Amino acid sequence: MTEVKRTHRCTAPRLAVFNHKGGVGKTTLTVNIAAALAEQGRRVLLVDSDPQCNLTSYLVEEMVVNDLLDRSDKKDGETIWSSLKPILEGTGDARLIPPIKQDDNLFLLPGDIRLVEFEQELGTLWADCFQRKLRGFRGMTAMSQLVNQVAKESRIDFVFYDCGPNIGALNRSIILDCDYFLIPAACDLFSLSAVKTLGHILVKWISDWKTISALAPDDASLLPGRPVFLGYIPQRFRTYGGQPTYQYARFLSQIEKHIQNDVVVVLRRLDLNLVPNQSIKIGEVKDFLTLATNAQEKGVAMWKVTVGTPMLRDLAHKSFVRISSKIIERTLGD
Amino acid sequence: MASFDVKLTKVELRHIDDLVGHFRNNMELIEHFLEQLRALFVGNPLLKPHVHSMKFRVKDPGHLRDKLIRKMMLTKNQKKKFHITKENLFGVINDLAGLRILHLHTRQIEAINKAVLKILEDEHYKIIGHPTAITWDDESRDYFTNIGIQTRRSDRMYTSVHYIIKPNNRSGFTAEIQVRTLAEELWGEVDHTINYPAPSRISACREQIKVLARVTSSCSRLVDSIFNTRKDADRGRRTLGSNPRS
Repeated sequence: MTEVKRTHRCTAPRLAVFNHKGGVGKTTLTVNIAAALAEQGRRVLLVDSDPQCNLTSYLVEEMVVNDLLDRSDKKDGETIWSSLKPILEGTGDARLIPPIKQDDNLFLLPGDIRLVEFEQELGTLWADCFQRKLRGFRGMTAMSQLVNQVAKESRIDFVFYDCGPNIGALNRSIILDCDYFLIPAACDLFSLSAVKTLGHILVKWISDWKTISALAPDDASLLPGRPVFLGYIPQRFRTYGGQPTYQYARFLSQIEKHIQNDVVVVLRRLDLNLVPNQSIKIGEVKDFLTLATNAQEKGVAMWKVTVGTPMLRDLAHKSFVRISSKIIERTLGD
Repeated sequence: MASFDVKLTKVELRHIDDLVGHFRNNMELIEHFLEQLRALFVGNPLLKPHVHSMKFRVKDPGHLRDKLIRKMMLTKNQKKKFHITKENLFGVINDLAGLRILHLHTRQIEAINKAVLKILEDEHYKIIGHPTAITWDDESRDYFTNIGIQTRRSDRMYTSVHYIIKPNNRSGFTAEIQVRTLAEELWGEVDHTINYPAPSRISACREQIKVLARVTSSCSRLVDSIFNTRKDADRGRRTLGSNPRS
């Protein structure tokens, strides 16, 4: 297997749907936004960077997933772990793995449960970066370089990372590699309290990386470290007569308030360019109930399932088309 | 220090406060810069045998403000343009991060210089101000020139070797490394306490400090001599030991 080439960053925007609270629908959102973008003719690369592999399980048949995971530790392994293993073993740079082609416009770099081992190493690599050690920079940028080459070779227009629900070293390196991030927010109390801490965590990551890069040697490869907030997406609220129910309407206004005060204000204080002047809600996804679960079982987008009413499927389709069009508009200016 | 008959305007003072504010905003980063140097230099096996102690300090924002005011008054007095901006502050003022290496006697500088240059090269630091011995003493000047360290005459009466380094070509941050003997350090500290930020008004104090510089120079020579004597004696003993019949 060939080593990943360290070359210039490709122009395809990299995004992450990020919230360290679990169960807010990150993976579902990522898959459906990607599917909507692919439908509009954009080539999308999905990177399953969550050791739980939810994204890979969503899109790939169980037997294939099992086979991928069985082989991943071997020389011919084809998961993200297979690629990054040489970094951990100190035997070289990341190795190139082929993306799995889902359809003409949708590609996947499959995840791996063993990615937790790489995450542990990332803690050490981060400390090395603080000490200006080139080894640290090589490791910190390994996944970014893999994504870069795959995106170039497959002529990708958008890259989406799927993150696990935590604030660990892996997510830190992913967010610092992203050009943009979206926050999914579920309508519950825990989700609200997660949002309250999110902005501060991001500020810490971004400013730490700013310090690291300002002092890094010239030959160190760096992550961009400036993820722009693209907007938030409230999810899974119930509606009645087309409007959120009373209970959810209250949550929705509270989410907006917390995103504004605890994310937007906090990020802008660090760097005004991290939050462009635009509405912070980029779209919304109501509770599509059976559509979501069925889509996950079938490994397709919500509007492509056979359950639910055509009207509900159409509604789901429109929600994601709206979000994906906004993403195109806000990232590429099209 | 020359006294100026110029005064700074509110706009000029605001510019200086902006610069100091910019420095304050970056102090954490500069502290990291020093921490990285500390991790490299303290206990380094190349340096350890020759070094007495090391000091690390980030410039006090108040002292920076005084320095900038002095610089601005000087340029104004000379009818020149004050060129320091937020963009070039960290490149123009080189001692915002400072590392001082103290040693016992002058001759140790040769080994210390080699070690410092090796550490900086191995760790990918850029040297923008090559080692320069600032000295007022003619004899020391010859010594430094002989071991490959350029010299610069100083009006102030101390001897110290300076390096200016930066972590990369990108960010514009710089740090100053100073190497001097403990005797020079004593002189420097006394001078700093009495004559900083403004020269003492007591002329006797100023005079005594000049005398102290000469005593310091003699002191450094004496310490060198003590170590040379011991080295010669050791060599003599070894020669005797290895060839008992001679």
